Amino acid sequence: MNVGDLLDAQVLGPDGTTLGVVVDVRFALEVVDEPDDDARERDREDPETPLSAHLGRDAVGGARLVGLLVSPHSGGSFLGYERTELRSPWPIAQLVRRRHRGTFLAGWSDVAEVRTDGSPVIVRLVAGFERGSPAL
Amino acid sequence: MTRERMVDARLHLLSRQVLDADGEPVRAVDDLELVGPGGQPARAGAEVRVGAILVGPVLFVRLFGGAVPVSRQPRIAWEDVGHVGTAIELTVPSDRLDADWVEHWLRDHVVGRVPGGRHDPEADG
Amino acid sequence: MKKVLGVALGVLTAIGGFVDIGDLVTNAVVGSRFGLSLVWVVALGVVGICLFASMAGRVAAVSGRATFEIIRERLGPKAAGANLVASFAINLLTLTAEIGGIALALHLVSSVEPRLWIPVAALAVWLVLWRVKFQVMENVAGLMGLLLVGFGVALFLLGPDWGELMRQAVPPSPPSTEHAAAYWYYAVALFGAAMTPYEVFFFSSGAVEERWTAKDLTMNRANVLIGFPLGGLLSVAIAACAAVVLLPAGIEVSSLSQIVLPVAQAGGVLLLALVIVGIVAATFGAALETALSSGYSLAQYLGWSWGKFRRPARAARFHVTMVVAILLGVGILMTSVDPIAVTEMSVVFSAVALPLTYVPILVVANDPQYMGRHVNGRVVNALGTVYLVIVVVAAVAAIPLMIATGAGS
Repeated sequence: MNVGDLLDAQVLGPDGTTLGVVVDVRFALEVVDEPDDDARERDREDPETPLSAHLGRDAVGGARLVGLLVSPHSGGSFLGYERTELRSPWPIAQLVRRRHRGTFLAGWSDVAEVRTDGSPVIVRLVAGFERGSPAL
Repeated sequence: MTRERMVDARLHLLSRQVLDADGEPVRAVDDLELVGPGGQPARAGAEVRVGAILVGPVLFVRLFGGAVPVSRQPRIAWEDVGHVGTAIELTVPSDRLDADWVEHWLRDHVVGRVPGGRHDPEADG
Repeated sequence: MKKVLGVALGVLTAIGGFVDIGDLVTNAVVGSRFGLSLVWVVALGVVGICLFASMAGRVAAVSGRATFEIIRERLGPKAAGANLVASFAINLLTLTAEIGGIALALHLVSSVEPRLWIPVAALAVWLVLWRVKFQVMENVAGLMGLLLVGFGVALFLLGPDWGELMRQAVPPSPPSTEHAAAYWYYAVALFGAAMTPYEVFFFSSGAVEERWTAKDLTMNRANVLIGFPLGGLLSVAIAACAAVVLLPAGIEVSSLSQIVLPVAQAGGVLLLALVIVGIVAATFGAALETALSSGYSLAQYLGWSWGKFRRPARAARFHVTMVVAILLGVGILMTSVDPIAVTEMSVVFSAVALPLTYVPILVVANDPQYMGRHVNGRVVNALGTVYLVIVVVAAVAAIPLMIATGAGS
């Protein structure tokens, strides 16, 4: 199974009702050591160092599948607005937020079945699944 | 200290540039392969991790549908990933990745053979 | 002192590099038909490209990611793939127009058929891309392009009725003989000529090529904010020359010799020769930029290694892409299509595709995960939002206007 199979998959409740589509897949990334944000910003001020030489980057280990972000409206790109604090530029932020109102996080443990044989791919959730907050 | 950071595939991983250990571009992330514990196939509801970054033909699958035979799927093992930022940085040089064979072939058989193809443009005017 | 020289050089290359075949042709056509009544669009386009280019440059410098990497990352492979196809096609069209422009300009001074100049021009473009250092390439083309100041000189020598020119410009008053739809069609074309997406691909990739520091970022902001408006003045001078000489004579521009006619009339052979050298340099510089942009956009979408700072063998697919683009451009020109017509098409489609490039950059420029504390400020965001509306309106209006006016005729 690939992430690409899960994206845009149709999500059904335990009784077979359509809940929406998978708009993103959330992972927990093991971070081995934390980058020092302050040091990075200081380095960027140094007139002789390329700005891009001190990018925010986490030293990472494994990536564990946490859950699926399900939007009742449409698939397609989110641009990330409703999951982060990002609010500007406001017309785009407003538009994206409105389009994806009602998005929730379905925990991977609440996924009963993934059928990849057909098109679209079908994801069925277990009875009593929880609607988690989509916020990162 | 180990902690966890939440990342979303579309937002933070897919389509990001992959750089090798020397900072050379390898490919963009076209898809991510999911595996269960011990390399078993991923199962719904059970523990699942990212096994590999997939590049190349899988992009066409995501764009146009269809399937790529697993054996012909260029992959970069997730164990080779060192950092995740605005790019995904590997801990291995790209020469050791079979994901980049077209670049190597063109370098060795076409571009590298044209006079000046190995000339360093920054060395002089 | 060295710093002053650095800024001066940067500003001068920004001026000389601003005008390309799209600006040249569109401004002359507009001047010959509408006088200076569309000058406001040039101003709008100049402010827009200043905003857009400096934002894209800042994003690339801070995040290390050039424009098309950002586009794919934000829009996903499907929408970005559609954008790539559109951008690549427009880029190719522009590259074709620029190579054609070089050939036409050389034809004017040599009486050798343009068709024979086309392969020569293409080969020269490839050789520079293959061999010459990025900064040398940018500076030489930009400085020689400054000779286009000849249009400004010609305007003064023509001794026009300045009051009349002002009356055409403010408030904008198009000639009563022209239809409103044609006026708005050319407004969109002028806007597209000033804000071509390839300039942004080139500018942002250049920030990565040259590994900008905080100092470079400040310096380049100055170059853009001073150089582009002065380059815009060159565009206005081209339109004004056409408005003074061609509009009263009822000549509608359809060839390069008509575009330079006012220069010849005002300044004689010497000024004409200088301006033609300027045109060759400007179109040559733009041909380099568009050829590079075709390589940049494809390589960045697919994640290939790219850049002129690498040895060609270390960016093999990038160099192969540029060669293929140049060959395709030559192929199109060899069908004896009119380069001027290709130019007019390329600027309109540039306007159509602009939002696809503009929106992802605007979004990422606000994302602290990419930009740290270099995110957009309030003023830039307010201006960015205004331009978001303008860019979308121009893109939506372009095709209907094109159909309604029969491409402006």
